[in-house]
Amino acid sequence: MSTLVFTLKNPPEFTLDVSPLTPDKLGGLSSAQIRKLRLRYGKQEIPVDRLFSIAGANPEKIRINGSCDKLTGIGHGMKSGTIEVHGHAGDFVGQYMRGGHISIRGDAGAWTGSSMSNGRIDIYGDAGDYLGAGLPGDIHGMSDGLIFVSGNAGDRVGDRMRRGIIVIQGNAGNYCGSRMAAGTIIVLNRAGKHSGYGMKRGTIILAKKPRHIIPTFRSCGNLKMQFLRLLFKQLSEMGSQFEIFRKYGPEAHRFSGDLASNGKGEILILQTIRTGV
Amino acid sequence: MKINGVTIDDTFAEAFPMKATRIIITAMTLKWAYRAANSIRGFASSVIACGCEADIECELDPSRTPDGRPGISVMLFAMSTRDLEREVPMRVGQSVMTTATTACYAGIHGSERISLGKNLRYFGDGHQISKTINGRRFWRIPVMHGEFVCEETTGVTRAIGGGNFLVLAKTARHALTACEKAVEEIQKVPDVITAFPGGIVGSGSKVGSKYKFLTASTNEAFCPTLKGQVKSELTDEIGSVLEIVIDGLNEAVIMEAMRAGILAACAYGPGKGIYRISAGNFGGNLGKYHFHLQDILK
Repeated sequence: MSTLVFTLKNPPEFTLDVSPLTPDKLGGLSSAQIRKLRLRYGKQEIPVDRLFSIAGANPEKIRINGSCDKLTGIGHGMKSGTIEVHGHAGDFVGQYMRGGHISIRGDAGAWTGSSMSNGRIDIYGDAGDYLGAGLPGDIHGMSDGLIFVSGNAGDRVGDRMRRGIIVIQGNAGNYCGSRMAAGTIIVLNRAGKHSGYGMKRGTIILAKKPRHIIPTFRSCGNLKMQFLRLLFKQLSEMGSQFEIFRKYGPEAHRFSGDLASNGKGEILILQTIRTGV
Repeated sequence: MKINGVTIDDTFAEAFPMKATRIIITAMTLKWAYRAANSIRGFASSVIACGCEADIECELDPSRTPDGRPGISVMLFAMSTRDLEREVPMRVGQSVMTTATTACYAGIHGSERISLGKNLRYFGDGHQISKTINGRRFWRIPVMHGEFVCEETTGVTRAIGGGNFLVLAKTARHALTACEKAVEEIQKVPDVITAFPGGIVGSGSKVGSKYKFLTASTNEAFCPTLKGQVKSELTDEIGSVLEIVIDGLNEAVIMEAMRAGILAACAYGPGKGIYRISAGNFGGNLGKYHFHLQDILK
């Protein structure tokens, strides 16, 4: 069966909640039923075929063409299958995701991968604030899975994150890894201010030395870390976009903190530092 | 049946169902991976008294290990998953974690699993860190050489233990030379190990004993010094018998290993003191698997 393709006829004026369009929720529905599914559009509910033209029949593989940042909740709670988005995506991509693969060929909004518990999200563009974070009311943020961002990410990446891996090829905003409980965040360019603020455990890996480290982190010195060998080798085998990790070695300057919190987190700076910071 | 003038007895090797796991040990250099692997396979020749049977399966080049360092694949066999659960973490803790620069990973990824670093993590005394990468959970335990990284669990699979053959030779020197070559050939077969020292058994056993407290005792029918004293399987020209015992993950690999080993031993022929190939069995009543020598060599 061919990929189920939703093509946006016109850019929506209001926020359009496309969370019902996931492989799990569409599985077993006929084409006619899919066309008549109702989506929240601003204050009203409208059938899918009013805004999308639909082609193909395989709900395990969904493609959204001509997407824009008004489309929210892409892949909400999905458990399996793939969603490929051509264009930008709005907020809450992959929120509460439990499996499967979302690929965005454009930018994604805030709260991407928030509270997801498994699966993989690839963003070939920028991501907004609160990437992989926990929504207010949730105990934790992302609790497993993998998020890859080829561009930059906003503030509060991985806020209250519990497990899983976030890889950002560009820059990360302020408060990267704030209040982390565990998990791994990798930033291959610069991170903003206050990385690791309030983190209890977890790992923030920064390929470049940040402008400053908050004073409640203590230097553990330059080290060769066996964990980095393992992490980089495993990541480099997870797709062509991760081949970059082949060039990184196990050397890192380790800072532990946040001592104002549990203090068992770490910031690993791959650009080793000659003198203590 | 004769191969290169060596008589192949019309008999069979009797083998038993076991449980097995595989672990990957890496280190800064292959030398130190070997140190750990040799330590973990120490005192693991037979489940009769060792708790498990273990041996090095093969070397792994850096491209085949989880962390890109040189590694060794070790397989461990026991009579039950419970026995493996007892033996493996203890051996990893005392033999691998204590070896400088090592790390330890699962080599089998089935649904049935036993602990690897799951309990060893407590050695970190609260400073251990858990990491999940690509669905696999690892423990980072801070140790004096840096970090001991150990996968949380390793998979267990059904296996077979006790595939064997006996090399009947003129002298111990002749038998040893042929058996060394046989073990060398067996080591080229994947998914099998020969757990006894050097892969060769110098004191093959039978089940039971005249002494009630012993579960196994010498196999007198194949002891050259008892030829005239007991009901012996040996003829006059046989002066030494060595056994090779093979554990493997399935029947096919054990047969392949037995075939490779027997052919290697037979290549020496009677001119170099190798006269007969036989096999150890218990009358066929104890083991589920029977490996008939002549069928394997057809």
